Amino acid sequence: MQNLYEYIRQFADVTPEEFGRMAELLETVHVGKKHILTQRGQVEKYLYIINKGLARKFFYKNKEEIVTQIAKENDLVCSSVSFLSQKPSDYVVETLEPCTLIALSFENMEKMYSWGPHMNRLGRLVTLDWLLQKEIWEHDRLRHEPRDRFIRFMNENNDLVQRVQQKYLASYLNMKPETFSRYKHLLRG
Amino acid sequence: MNEQILYKQYLDTVLAYFRRFIDLSHEEFDLIAPFFEIRKFDKKTKVLKTGETDGYFNIIMKGLARKYLMVNKKEVTIQLSTEGHMIHSEISFNLQKPSDCIIEAIEPVTFLSMSHANIQMIYEKLPQTEKLGRMIITEMFIKKDQRDFKQLNKTTRERFLDYMHDHPDMLQRVPQKYLASYLNIKPETFSRLKHLLRPKRNVPVKEG
Repeated sequence: MQNLYEYIRQFADVTPEEFGRMAELLETVHVGKKHILTQRGQVEKYLYIINKGLARKFFYKNKEEIVTQIAKENDLVCSSVSFLSQKPSDYVVETLEPCTLIALSFENMEKMYSWGPHMNRLGRLVTLDWLLQKEIWEHDRLRHEPRDRFIRFMNENNDLVQRVQQKYLASYLNMKPETFSRYKHLLRG
Repeated sequence: MNEQILYKQYLDTVLAYFRRFIDLSHEEFDLIAPFFEIRKFDKKTKVLKTGETDGYFNIIMKGLARKYLMVNKKEVTIQLSTEGHMIHSEISFNLQKPSDCIIEAIEPVTFLSMSHANIQMIYEKLPQTEKLGRMIITEMFIKKDQRDFKQLNKTTRERFLDYMHDHPDMLQRVPQKYLASYLNIKPETFSRLKHLLRPKRNVPVKEG
């Protein structure tokens, strides 16, 4: 819970008392590896923060899986557009390792918003963060050469090479798995 | 038309938009309204250049603007917006860092704009606007995702036809190369697809 408090405080000043009230609305969930948290066509009920483990978010372009997020400890993960709109999800959210998750339901989020502007501010800033992540992900895919995308990502997420299957990392970085393998020599030394 | 009357009309449009999200009285809106600025740009003006920090959130009142990225010296159009829509560099504006994209007026444009500093000030002074801001951002996020999704999962032909169906005036207003880039269609292919738009001629029925 301390991690979550830290996460929230990046966005808004929330007092320990307020956080205490929030914590009462959160649920802890344990799931295994390869567990589908959200299926395509299903309405996303929860917003998760990862306490332990790894998850990915992807969609199908025809039959191909396109990974749009790889989430690790202290990251938020969910089918965010489905969660916010309460409409069927275009994405699948799946765990890659056994996970301990802290979950907030849509109803409980709405309840928090009814507490006043402070919570709306937090919601605004978290939603904005999602929007910006999406923009940054798209601009990166358009602007940067695969080699640059690889190096930038690896500098920031060095630990993920050991934990995540290469095909998922390659898809996230919009490159062929062979290209990804070839770039790995850039990491040595 | 008198500038003052136009300005009033623009503000009424914005109030109606805000009221889709929250109950906002005229008195409350009157506290916000003075912070909107009218900004006009000639055709072809770069409203925002790469490396500049985007200081304004803009709603288009009149005209047409586009947003693009330079990729290997080529322009990739990522947004085309007309009256009633918002245009700004989300990343540069919100993070207050140099922009990686360019915003350019395709027609002479009139924006109703609010500066980053004034928006932050309004959130502080009128905390009830936090909810409004949250809901506007939520809607932007949902719409963007839906548009991207459709674009990714459609064929070239479908992208072309659906866009022209939803935006019938754009072919007249926007140079084809920008439309083609925005729809991720090669210019030659775009030209070829245009024949799909011509209305089928009625076959005359012979009498007698």
